[in-house]
Amino acid sequence: MAAGGTGGNSNKTYSFKVVLLGEGCVGKTSLVLRYCENKFNDKHITTLQASFLTKKLNITGKRVNLAIWDTAGQERFHALGPIYYRDSNGAILVYDITDEDSFQKVKNWVKELRKMLGNEICLCIVGNKIDLDKDRHVSVEEAESYAESVGAKHYHTSAKLNKGIEELFLDLCKRMMETAQAEERLKGNGASQSASSRRGVQIVDDEPQATPAGGCCSSG
Amino acid sequence: MMSQRSERRGIHLDQSELLCKKGCGYYGNTAWQGLCSKCWREENQRERQKQIQEDWALAERLQREEEEAYASRHQRAQSQPTITPFSKFEERKTKEKSSKVNTVTKFFTPSAKTPPKKDTTSFDTQSSPSPSSSSSRHPPADTDHATREFIDFLKPLKSGREIFKQCRAFTESMVYKRDMGADELSECVQDFYQNLSDRLQTQFKGSTEHVESVMDEVEKYMMTRLYKEVFCPETTDDEKKDLAIQKRIRALHWVTIEMLCVPVDEEIPEVSDSVVKAITDVIEMDSKRVPKDKLACITRCSKHIFNAIKISKKEAASADDFLPTLIYIVLKANPPRLQSNIQYITRFCNPSRLMTGEDGYYFTNLCCAVAFIEKLDGQSLNLSPEEFELYMSGQASPHWPQGAGASSPGSAALSQVHKRLDLLTGLGERQDRVIEKARQLESDLIDWTDEVEQKVQSVLESFPQETHNPTATTASGTTSAAASAIDSDNVENERLPPPLQPQVFAG
Repeated sequence: MAAGGTGGNSNKTYSFKVVLLGEGCVGKTSLVLRYCENKFNDKHITTLQASFLTKKLNITGKRVNLAIWDTAGQERFHALGPIYYRDSNGAILVYDITDEDSFQKVKNWVKELRKMLGNEICLCIVGNKIDLDKDRHVSVEEAESYAESVGAKHYHTSAKLNKGIEELFLDLCKRMMETAQAEERLKGNGASQSASSRRGVQIVDDEPQATPAGGCCSSG
Repeated sequence: MMSQRSERRGIHLDQSELLCKKGCGYYGNTAWQGLCSKCWREENQRERQKQIQEDWALAERLQREEEEAYASRHQRAQSQPTITPFSKFEERKTKEKSSKVNTVTKFFTPSAKTPPKKDTTSFDTQSSPSPSSSSSRHPPADTDHATREFIDFLKPLKSGREIFKQCRAFTESMVYKRDMGADELSECVQDFYQNLSDRLQTQFKGSTEHVESVMDEVEKYMMTRLYKEVFCPETTDDEKKDLAIQKRIRALHWVTIEMLCVPVDEEIPEVSDSVVKAITDVIEMDSKRVPKDKLACITRCSKHIFNAIKISKKEAASADDFLPTLIYIVLKANPPRLQSNIQYITRFCNPSRLMTGEDGYYFTNLCCAVAFIEKLDGQSLNLSPEEFELYMSGQASPHWPQGAGASSPGSAALSQVHKRLDLLTGLGERQDRVIEKARQLESDLIDWTDEVEQKVQSVLESFPQETHNPTATTASGTTSAAASAIDSDNVENERLPPPLQPQVFAG
């Protein structure tokens, strides 16, 4: 397996899971549809659904498969969060800049995510609907300083005008790759340990070496 | 020798009495009812066989009876509350029949390990069934088939034989580990997947698709063979959880589409069709053995849900729409062995698919739906705790007040029933009133006769009898004379021509 950290054009493909969190009506779905389909409020959306979308990217020569998981934003489903975000590499927390409440919800999510997943998850706080700036109820300074205080990045987007979305996802991918690479390096140092702990199963390890030499099935 | 000795002891036994009663020529034994060992075994065997068959027939009959009772109970429990959201109730019922049977049989097989049968007929036609043999209902042909397919798949691969050897060795070793806890078993399998895929990764020089296709086949082969051992194992409380969720869903039969805010309009035929298909698919999950196939059922169910939402809302479904609809579908379907299936998939599915793939997303949503149903309270349905309690205890149903207003065919029938009921109670009241009046009339009559009698009595008392009696007789005498005189006065009668006789004219 090629370690992603060193090789410039390693053939490793990264697979990342990103969850979309936020109250209903903040535009989570519009955001992700704009990103993956480049469509907004379009009657001719080709996908059957907008709750699970994938995007293939190529970042500095490395392939990235992004799986974006939409979550139900209604308050009554809040308790189900942990089932959605476990094992995810990144979280995009969306709020509506015209809705103070939705920003409060984001704060709750951040607190919960940090508590459950620690620092291994990359957080993005996204203020959506900047096309409605005249009705803004969440100040830019407040949002950005809050994001910084919890180690998250803050973005301003508009799904309607297609502003800031590409940057958001690209940035997030880069950060997730860095995290993954750091993890790999860590694993590389302690490779012998982790390997031995995983060796609980009986796999006859000496036989594969004999196989290529013998080539028992090579001709088919 | 023997007869001589017995004679000496004063007991006479004829040679023929010692022989087998069947007359086969061998000696018999009183302990075997005078038969020889061979004949006794035959006889006994036949008897026992007969007993077994009788027992089995009885067991079968009891089961059928219970099944029927359950089905009717189930039907009653379901039919009443589901009328409103279920527009094509009857049709669905028949469609679901086969799947319902699965749920039912589940209750009567002691070990939940058995994969459900396709239908009842296969159950009846089984030649040598016995309750304990239920776990071996799946013919070994199934696993043989999987093995053959696996070998065929691996043939063109360079290290195919090697992969097969390892998988087989591992699968066989797993059989001896069945006493281990489910989590440990899962760990073993997951470690095996991990190691194998790592090795394949080096072998195929990192071609992920290739590795995944091989891993799919490995999973299929291994899990087909291990299914019986590791699905809902006795070491876990999966079965208990299955029953708990099943009971819970049944108790929640009254939950409506409006309470869950499901954005699906079942009046559109296409939509209700998709809903039916979604229900069928999620129920079908239980009949599959390989985790990947089970996931495929969930995915198909989800696609039908998306379809229903898209037709209803005319836009692509978001998670805000999807999850409530999935919850609704699960409530309506009450899929058999839901928790066991979820646990089985979590434990033994290829982790890469579960964590990032589309199938994984839908599976996660199913887990969410189950978690939501388990924790559901009044607040999450926008009901007050009192209302929730009333509905849960069955003392009230949210469908009654809506009956007249709603317009779906089911509620139309319901309102008709209500109208008829009202009419009937009205009729009853009127009948009661009539009976009451009749009674009053009766007592009035009795009173009146009493009154008349009293009056007559008083009149009789006030007048002496002798003076009255002659007058009464003379009065009656004059009237009768007058009556007889009517004809006699009519003297001119004789001069009248005879009355016309009807005559027949020749026509």
